[in-house]
Amino acid sequence: MIKVRGQALLLPVSPWFIVWSLVFALLLSMWLGLSHQLWLPDVLAIFVFFWGIHQPRRVGMGIAFFLGLWVDVQQSALLGQHALAYTFLSYGAFTIHRRLLWFALPQQALQVLPFFVLANVTQWLTRLIAGEAFAGWLILFAPLCEALLWPLVSTLLLAPQRRAHETDVHRPI
Amino acid sequence: MPLGSIDRTPPPFFRVGFAPLTKLIFFSALSLLLMFADSRLQFAQPLRAGLSTLMLPVQWLVLQPGHAARAVSSYFENLEQAQHNLAQAQLKALEQAARSQQVEQLQLENQSLRQLIALQSTVANPSQVAEVLFDVADPYNQRVVISKGHVQGIAPGSAVIDAGGVIGQVTRVFPLTSEVTLLTDREQSIPVLNARTGARNVAYGEVSAGLAQIELRFVPASADVQEGDMLTTSGVDGIYPAGLQVARINHIERRSDISFARILATPLAQQKGRHLLVLQPPPDLATTKGRTP
Repeated sequence: MIKVRGQALLLPVSPWFIVWSLVFALLLSMWLGLSHQLWLPDVLAIFVFFWGIHQPRRVGMGIAFFLGLWVDVQQSALLGQHALAYTFLSYGAFTIHRRLLWFALPQQALQVLPFFVLANVTQWLTRLIAGEAFAGWLILFAPLCEALLWPLVSTLLLAPQRRAHETDVHRPI
Repeated sequence: MPLGSIDRTPPPFFRVGFAPLTKLIFFSALSLLLMFADSRLQFAQPLRAGLSTLMLPVQWLVLQPGHAARAVSSYFENLEQAQHNLAQAQLKALEQAARSQQVEQLQLENQSLRQLIALQSTVANPSQVAEVLFDVADPYNQRVVISKGHVQGIAPGSAVIDAGGVIGQVTRVFPLTSEVTLLTDREQSIPVLNARTGARNVAYGEVSAGLAQIELRFVPASADVQEGDMLTTSGVDGIYPAGLQVARINHIERRSDISFARILATPLAQQKGRHLLVLQPPPDLATTKGRTP
């Protein structure tokens, strides 16, 4: 294994932490959705992309698809439109997961932006083809917000893996 | 350092599963199939109903912070406010008492007049009170979810009203909840009658510049329409009972280059209360599922 300079060795991730983080993202996105703002980021999409980058063998396209289906039913949107977007997002994460982690967090945010744009454009196109109206220009800010949240989400979700390798009873932290 | 304490493990040699591209194609095709099924073939409805029932406890959980905040704020609502509300309610009751006495008499008179001209007397629809659970979290559509569904006997196509007037129509029915599309939704339409002139028309949902309104289309520029005219349901569709208040016209734009006037009206439904009244459609219409006027 090649170690990137300055990158900490991480503890193995707990599968339950992945599950609970995705459930938390789902609840948060449901809660944010109640406010009807177009520019609000899709938190679930960021989390799916994050785990697709860091744990591509655990969180793949299947999970992304079913989470998308859940969001479709919850938003009573056309069945399959979020599922398609999340599948694309998960595939995108798989294609860059070896490369992305060599960069610092701000550069990572820049690199993930196109994928969030792609996911959002997929949704706009499906809505357009299904015959719905364009909701407004504010919607362009959604992928931007998602990319801006990337460093924060990365830091938070990697925190449990950054603890000490061996617990030392003489050391408080 | 123990062996299992590093995150990176070598990739598996043999059990790697399907190629990512294969998975991408499979799930994309599945999504497209679902979209097609949902929009054209109507067979995705059981899947949607099942998932939405599964989702109920989760949705309940999501709504709790809002409910708690509302409960706390209503607890601290001061006495003055309560007294004010009481005074308002008494005033309103007094106003309505006068009107209700008139109504009794008018109804009697109307009955006899209708008998006189041998018209079918208007049938009162059976109705149910339902609670608004939440707005559907989709900025493109104007829908709310209410707390009664198939089990409680809600039929698709039922008209939904509140204290102000017509709110919308039940468009999807799940086992325990149902979805109401508001009048202001882009794909919703309602037959209306101008209460002043008696002209009939169909109003369509229109959301422009963030204002949820309804629009009367194809009204000639020379038609007798004024700002402030009241629109009520006309009853021609057989789904909405006749005479319910719908909207008040607030904007008329007549341009010389177009032979139609652009007429916008603001719905009278208050949408402040948490409770709605669902009016069952007449039995002969309730059998044709998901019908919209």
